[in-house]
Amino acid sequence: MKDLVHIFELEDLLQEANNKLVRQAKEDGKKALGYTCYFMPEVLLDLPGCFSVRLRAPRSGSPDMATYYMSNRTCMYGRCLLERALEGGFNFLDAQMATETCTVTCRFQEHLQLMDIIKNPDFFCEFTDVPFKKNENSIDHYEKQLQDHVLDKLSDRFGIDTSDEALLKAIEEHNEICRLITEIGRYRKLDEPTITGWEFSVIQLATLVCPKYLIIDMLKDIAEQLKTRKPDAKKTYRCKVVLTGSEEDDPSFIKLIEECGALVVADRHCYGSLPGREEIIVKEGERPLRAIARHYIETSECPRFMDQHIMRERKQYLADVAKEYKADGIIISQMKFCEYWSYERTIDTLILPRDFGYPVCSIEKEYVNNAVGQLRTRFQAFVESIELKNIQKEA
Amino acid sequence: MKAIGKFFFKLLKFAAIVYAILFAVFYWDLDGKFLYYIWEPLMIKRFDNMKRADNTMTPYSMKDPVE
Amino acid sequence: MGITLKDIKAKYRELFVVEKSPEEKNKPFDPKKAAHDFWYGKEHEERRLGDLYVGNTGLYKHREWRGVKDTMYYFNMIWLYNYAHMVSDIMKYGDGPKAIVDFTKGTLRYRWMGQTYLTVMHWFDRGLEGTRGEAMKASAWHYRAMVSETIRQFMRMFEADKKIHGGEAPEKWNKTIAHNETLSGNIFYGWRDQLDDVALEMIPYFVSVHVNNHTVLNYIDAAQSIGLPSDPCPMCQAEYGLFVQDDYPDYSPVMLTSNEACDGSVATSVLQDWFLNRPLYAMPQPMRYDDPLVQEHCQKEIEGAWKFVEEQFGIKMDWDQYVKHAQSFNKLTEFEWEKWDVAANTPYYPINGVAQALYRIYYSQDGDRPIWHETDARVKAIMEKTVKNKIECFPKTRHRAIAWSCAPLYYSNWCTWAYNCWGINCVINMDSLMFDQYLRTDTYEHALEDLSWFNEKAPMRAMAVGGHEHILSLFDYMERFNCDMVIMYDQLQCKGMQGIHGVFEDEFRKRDIHAIWIPHALPDKRTVSRAEIRDIINDYMTTVMREEPLDPSLLDFDDAMSW
Repeated sequence: MKDLVHIFELEDLLQEANNKLVRQAKEDGKKALGYTCYFMPEVLLDLPGCFSVRLRAPRSGSPDMATYYMSNRTCMYGRCLLERALEGGFNFLDAQMATETCTVTCRFQEHLQLMDIIKNPDFFCEFTDVPFKKNENSIDHYEKQLQDHVLDKLSDRFGIDTSDEALLKAIEEHNEICRLITEIGRYRKLDEPTITGWEFSVIQLATLVCPKYLIIDMLKDIAEQLKTRKPDAKKTYRCKVVLTGSEEDDPSFIKLIEECGALVVADRHCYGSLPGREEIIVKEGERPLRAIARHYIETSECPRFMDQHIMRERKQYLADVAKEYKADGIIISQMKFCEYWSYERTIDTLILPRDFGYPVCSIEKEYVNNAVGQLRTRFQAFVESIELKNIQKEA
Repeated sequence: MKAIGKFFFKLLKFAAIVYAILFAVFYWDLDGKFLYYIWEPLMIKRFDNMKRADNTMTPYSMKDPVE
Repeated sequence: MGITLKDIKAKYRELFVVEKSPEEKNKPFDPKKAAHDFWYGKEHEERRLGDLYVGNTGLYKHREWRGVKDTMYYFNMIWLYNYAHMVSDIMKYGDGPKAIVDFTKGTLRYRWMGQTYLTVMHWFDRGLEGTRGEAMKASAWHYRAMVSETIRQFMRMFEADKKIHGGEAPEKWNKTIAHNETLSGNIFYGWRDQLDDVALEMIPYFVSVHVNNHTVLNYIDAAQSIGLPSDPCPMCQAEYGLFVQDDYPDYSPVMLTSNEACDGSVATSVLQDWFLNRPLYAMPQPMRYDDPLVQEHCQKEIEGAWKFVEEQFGIKMDWDQYVKHAQSFNKLTEFEWEKWDVAANTPYYPINGVAQALYRIYYSQDGDRPIWHETDARVKAIMEKTVKNKIECFPKTRHRAIAWSCAPLYYSNWCTWAYNCWGINCVINMDSLMFDQYLRTDTYEHALEDLSWFNEKAPMRAMAVGGHEHILSLFDYMERFNCDMVIMYDQLQCKGMQGIHGVFEDEFRKRDIHAIWIPHALPDKRTVSRAEIRDIINDYMTTVMREEPLDPSLLDFDDAMSW
């Protein structure tokens, strides 16, 4: 296929947290607000006067200093973030809007509070409590938390306008990004997709780590180009897969899967778009903040949710995604030491083939992916097994 | 009267013997040794060979919300 | 190949004969001293407790001679008394003579029961090694209470268990609430007159590991056999490994679970729910629990749990029952505070480190039960005596230690060893300090408010979540309990504690505190053995503290295969 417009520019922007567009937004006088988790609504951090940056630690090596603080038995994502912070890579942040949603990222953010790491005199780190269930009580609670720990703090510390009008405007802008990403992502549902998993992951990640107002035009151009983009004459992949699992912000990992012959057509993982890029709907008479709280609680598919029916519906959701995107199999990838996904991966690996008939490739990986050779072998074998199954089915 | 006294004496003697035996069991840790060398291996054998249900075959159907 | 006389002699020596050290052998016999030792027991430095072990089994060639008075107390009031009660309690808590049948069926059906129950007296032995006088008595009463409550719980499980009743639901199946062991029993006070609540993993996993850590390894292996990686918290692994092995009693139509104490606990619910496959209510606690804004949410979740029980069992919660038990539980809390006061400010505290830790976590998790009150009354009498008569219960104390983070369950008695070998007296531990909450009952609102606070301060989570200031409160407690040393448990698979490891290192250095890190894997002795734990303490005491052991025979011994 012909190269996607802006794709290499966007890829460049992913090479460091304090990228060109982040610097430009800072120069525009906007406050940079870091966060790590879907449960910190980016729409609130994108209010006029500030912008959200979902933290990544691209091009990480060995996080030695962070390993001293957090030992080598914790999730490497958390450690690499701390290492990057200790190296000064997050000094551009004006605040970290934290959540205690998984242990190690929580500890990383606590280090930001405890130690004088971020060299910015106005920097602060504020925690929001996030509920574990999808009921009205949780939404009430979450709404209060967002008001107190996000909106009030932004208003008090930076003078950000957090009125309902400002929120509605932020929702509108956020929804525009969501619409564009959803439109771009829809081409993955085609019998012969006209966008690769790698391309999509670059675009999706760029929307998480760059000021949105500075990339929206690029997204529009991409969406425009995709309307007429033709698939390759000869298929370059052997099967289609859904990638699901824990934190994943490395497009080269997706490239690795695709090099093995499996086109990644859906991304149901932290930093993915499923869920994540659904539009926020404000019901009639509903406060915008209430709508935001409800949206993030209702759309999240995080294994942190404990309601019985939600735990079970998560598997159905995944199977539905696989069906909708015409996937032949599912790759479940878990960051080593992520406890939520250790268990979720275990049950998914057993239930999805048994109850939904989807072949599963279940892997554990590190944030800094050094096991490329081993993973390549696993993915190649998985692709072959799917092909064999398809041959058997046809026979 | 004498017979009752004799009976009590016998009972006392019996109790003293039982008490002494129990003390010997206690002091030389005979209870522990019995459990360690005889009872536990028997139990391990029993439980290792026990037929167990394969719980991974448990259905996983949807459930109604519990509020 | 028959057994020869030589073999028998060798076995006899191995099992019963305590080999004397060359110095001992060369000493001339001193009848006066022998008589003194017989009557009063040997001085601490002369005991050589390590010589009493049989190989690597942890068994004794003979049990320790503590002097006539203490040995006879141990024999009569601990060994005999507890063995007798291990039989009589089955009858007491069970359904009359049928209890024996249920007990036997349960023993033969469940590994955690069959392999573990009878080894209970060795659990006492390990925890009470070297103790004398009032310390021995008070600590033993704590153990006795835990055994009694364990029997009550497993008898209830067996009576209500479908599995040992041919798959049919016994009458009590519909009258028993199953809940996760990290969910406190106080949630169910309102039904204590009509239903009973039993934590599902408390006996099969938690208690059994302390008594006999051989069984839990099966559950951990089973958990990993279906694809779970080995790095998540092994407690959570074992908790659902029970289900993979089909070794859980089916004694309730419902399950209530919680998010305590960590991500692993939350995630375990996913698999437990699958295997249990029955109505499940999750009662999560907020993470940022100091935040006044989270309290209402927490209270509503508790009310949700109550509504769930009411709907599932068709029995309304009885407010008077709640008040009765909450007020009764407050008495236990009041005595706990008294204990802390004595432990913190005097050398007369009669409870050793392991009894303190286990009893506190057990009763506060379990909630109000008669046995805890009986025990507290006995211990109170002992403590009053030690304080009044100024009896130093641990006279060889060189260091007053505080143990922080979660303890190695397979070696909870490390503190008994540390005192005997080095004079390290573990005065208090982190899990003893949780659930530090009085329960008001004057109004419904107050009751609910305090109940939610109580549950927010549950084991581990009270210190480990909700902000770094909670875990760093170690230094305040260290001061409060007049400690000069920290035993820092380093649970290798606890992400929360691993995630703040370096900050503690920095603080220890900055504050010039002697801290000994004890790596362990909670219930799994294969990761870090007990001998390795002792080696670490030995090394610190010799190389950093430059001290001599009180009992050199305890420096190096093999107990790899011990219960």
